[in-house]
Order: sequence, then C-alpha cells, then structure tokens
Amino acid sequence: MFKRAQNKFYSTSANLLKTPLHEAHVEFGGKMVPYAGFEMPVLYKDQSHIESHNWVRSKAGLFDVSHMLQHTIQGPQARALLEKITPIDLGSLGVNQLSLSVLLNNEGGVIDDCIITKHGDNDYYMVTNAGCREKDVKFIKDELTAFDVNHSTFEGTLLAVQGPQAAELLQKFTTEDLSKVYFGESRYLDLKTGGATTRIHLARSGYTGEDGFELSIPSGTPAEQAEALSFFKVLINEYPDIAKPIGLAARDSLRLEAGMCLYGHELTEEITPIQASLAWLIPKSRRADGGFNGSSKILGQLADKSSVTHRRIGVKSKGPSPRDGNKIFNAEGKEIGYITSGSPSPTLGGNVAQAYIDKSAKIGSGIKIEIRGKLRDGEVAKLPFVPSKFYKG
Amino acid sequence: MFRTLLRTSPLVARPSARLFSTSRAVFNSTSHKLNKDSHVYKYLQEGPSTIKYTAEHEWLAIFKDDSAFVGITTYASEALGDVTFVELPEVGDKVEVGDTIGSVESVKSASEIYSPVAGEVVAINDVLESEPQLINTDPIGNGWIAQIKLSDPAAIESSEELLSAEEYENSLSEN
Repeated sequence: MFKRAQNKFYSTSANLLKTPLHEAHVEFGGKMVPYAGFEMPVLYKDQSHIESHNWVRSKAGLFDVSHMLQHTIQGPQARALLEKITPIDLGSLGVNQLSLSVLLNNEGGVIDDCIITKHGDNDYYMVTNAGCREKDVKFIKDELTAFDVNHSTFEGTLLAVQGPQAAELLQKFTTEDLSKVYFGESRYLDLKTGGATTRIHLARSGYTGEDGFELSIPSGTPAEQAEALSFFKVLINEYPDIAKPIGLAARDSLRLEAGMCLYGHELTEEITPIQASLAWLIPKSRRADGGFNGSSKILGQLADKSSVTHRRIGVKSKGPSPRDGNKIFNAEGKEIGYITSGSPSPTLGGNVAQAYIDKSAKIGSGIKIEIRGKLRDGEVAKLPFVPSKFYKG
Repeated sequence: MFRTLLRTSPLVARPSARLFSTSRAVFNSTSHKLNKDSHVYKYLQEGPSTIKYTAEHEWLAIFKDDSAFVGITTYASEALGDVTFVELPEVGDKVEVGDTIGSVESVKSASEIYSPVAGEVVAINDVLESEPQLINTDPIGNGWIAQIKLSDPAAIESSEELLSAEEYENSLSEN
C-alpha cells in the first residue's frame, strides 16, 4: 500500500538534488549550498543576512521549501493511523484546517515535526522535514502495515511567502478572497502563474512568526515546473519593492526569534513534546485515552510534572552569541542545561537562543553560558522573542 | 581562521567550504591590498615593510619595529557576512603561532581567529566593540584586530605558513 513517488528533480554532479526553482536561485545570485541532499540558496547577492531577515519582518520574503517532503494519506483508516503516530485530534480539526504535530516513537520521542492538513475525514496532507526524509518514510511504512491506508509522497514546488505584505502580494494572483483564509486554514485555488492558471494548495502558515502562506504548486511535468518557475520570477521581477527571495540563513534566524523548533536541535528522538514545552500539541481529547505512540510516557509526564526536570526555554545575552552545544550554569556554578540554537537577533539586537534548562531556573534569572571556554552572562527569557503576527481575522 | 569554523548554523549544515567557494566569484586581485588610508598603514610613516597572508584567511602587516597588525581578509569577511560581534584578545597576552586571539561572529556562525605569529599583544582595535561592521567595510585596514610584538621576527621570512599576496591568491583559486 506504500508507494514512493518517482523523484522528478534533477541531480547535480555532486548528486545534489535541485528544486524546480533552482534555475531562478542561480539567476538571482543565490549562494548555493548542500542542504539535506539538495542544493539550496543560503543567501542572495546584494542582500546581507540581516537585510534578508529584516525584509521578511517588514515586506514579503519568498522561501523555496520544495526540499521538504509532501505526503498524501488517504483511506478509511487514515485518521486512525495519524492518531497513532502523532498526538493530533483530527476530529476537532475541520476540513481545510491544519495543525503542527509530531511523529512519535514508542518512547514518546520526536521522530520529526510535521504539518497535517485535513482535506476530508479520510483524506490528509502532511509535510515533513527534508533532513528526516529517509527515516520518516521508513517509519510510516512500518506503521501503516496495520492500517487500511494509502500513503504516497510527492515532490513539487513548495513556496513559502512570509511577511506583513504576503497577503497583499498573493492577492494580485488569485480571485479567492485571502482575507477569508485565516491562520491554520488552507484552500485549493486558481493561481495566475506565468502564462496559465494553476490549481494550487495554499495554507496560511509559516516558519517565521509573520503572517504568510505556503503554496504547494504541482510540478510533476516540465510544463508545470515551467509555470512554477515563471510564477516565482514574476513575483520578484514585477514586485521588487515587496518581494525578495530569502535563503536558509535568514530562515533560521527568523524561526529562532519566533521561538519555533528546528528538528535536530530543539527536537530529537530522545526528547518528548512535554520536555520541548509543546504540551499544547496533545489536545485534551487525547489526554484521557492516549493510544498514540509513547502515550503512557507522555501522559505520565503530564500527570506528574516533577518527572520532567528540564524544559525548552529562551535565553538572552550580549557579547558573543550562544551556539548549539554551549553549556549553561547557574549563579552557583552548577551545570543546569545546554543551548540548542542561538544567534544574534537582527530584530531585537543582542543574542537570542533556545535551550534546555532545569525548570528551577525561572524566567528572568541570571545564568552563565560557557562560550569558547569562558563563562558569559545570560538571562532566562520567555519564548517567542518576537511576538507572532498570525492572521486570525 | 576557518580551519575550525565553529558551530556553523545547523540549518546551513556546515557548508563553509561550499559557501566560500561560491563567493570566490566576487574575489578580485585588488581586494586584499592594505587600505592606505587606514590606521594600520599610517602606523609608521613609511608604511609596512611586508604584508603576508595565511591559508586560513588572515593578513599580517609587518613593520620595521618588529610589530605586526593582524586581521581577516576580504575573502573571509565576505564569506562571513554581516559581522555582529568581535571578541578581542587583551593587551599583554602572550601568544604562540596557532593560539586563538579572538573570534569574529556573524548571525549564522562564529569563527576563531588564530595568531599567525608568536609574540605579545601590544594593541587591540577596541573600535570593533562598537563598530564590528568595520570587518565588512574595511577588513584589511581599519578592521584590524590586534597588533602583536613579534618574539621572533626572523621567523617571518622563513615561515612556510605565511604567504605572499600572489601565493594567497593562488591558494584561493585552488580551493
């Protein structure tokens, strides 16, 4: 019942895959780097990292996220499968609504984070991380043997349009009233791409903390790829005061400020969603009966808060930036945690970081971070650092 | 300085070499000349006696008083992007070849700066504490990092690690 979509992307000499927008990245001066098996833009010429970051916070940034893996999960037991491998409650999710969730192993650890969209009671669309592609596919394949489900993966153009002017920009290309599509909702709609009209999937969501959209544009044929490429170029060439392409570098600093997790850093197979301060991913309706992977451990942690000693939390500092792996100490010199991501904050100044720290360290308390062999002052801070501006009507 | 690039951002999963090789396109033969209007050039009236480079993208301006100014090259500065913070050594620090004398940070990464020479730090460019972007705007000049009094001036000429401008340029095109 499992089929793996044919990979339609071309391979480079270094065996790196190219997305359908690759040609445009090169044309716009993208500095291309290997990332999760793809050659992706990290920065573009004439835009520094900080300029790219600030552009997204003030205008509209275009992110090629076609390297992420898209899944279709359909069939009479599609819901049952998803509610076993994640703690989501699909009964409370309406048609054309989406939610963040996590693929869980039997110990409650996070195999990957994912966005699940409901298109019908037996019809779901899921997006997972590029870097987890192999293990996610194997995990789902193993799990679905017990279910009457059709699972397939596909690659297409996945384009995130993020920033306060994202809606204004995209509205120029569709007759669908985007003011009626709220955060966490999706639509199939006709988009004026290049020369034609293309039926696409649009979700109001993102990974920057700004209002924005993620567009799934079919790219299975050369003609479809050409339309997607043309649309991307038109956005940039015809609306240069609103739209710029943005690379991986700013994507990371934006999500960090927005307090969002990056798999492999804040989330791993050894960390449960409760430790990751993501208890909200387990809705009330799933807390009584469990039934999802690792539910006994996760529900146990919810029932006995003292069983979880560390939590994901923010850190602020000045001077050299905390980076992944730096140790954290309290004022008495006791080791109390570690940094998982950190960088200077273009929006706020100073440094921001995410960390796992002993719960006894309260927000506002002073800590020491060991950076290049020296202890530096920092402070426990709440997440997110930059408030989210999701469009909720 | 990029020999052990520290903690490149996860997202950019250690692309350092690739990142630099793509930025080579912007490199040109005049971009690693010492800025003649800078404090470094004017340190002694006649200017520096020699300029050297390392494969780790540091430059060294050596003066007749056996002191040398150290900084990072234009190539390194462009590869780093917007510099947000520079950690400087302290005046009086004694350093051996290869010792860390500070670090240069951008939003996405932190890179150590290694001393290409042995000696004692006699001055630091503390302007970088308030204006770290000088590393981007004038890396081989007012973006200097430290001045080191050489403990073994004769080692400069015999060193195989210190490259002439031409050798450095060749090392870039080989990468």
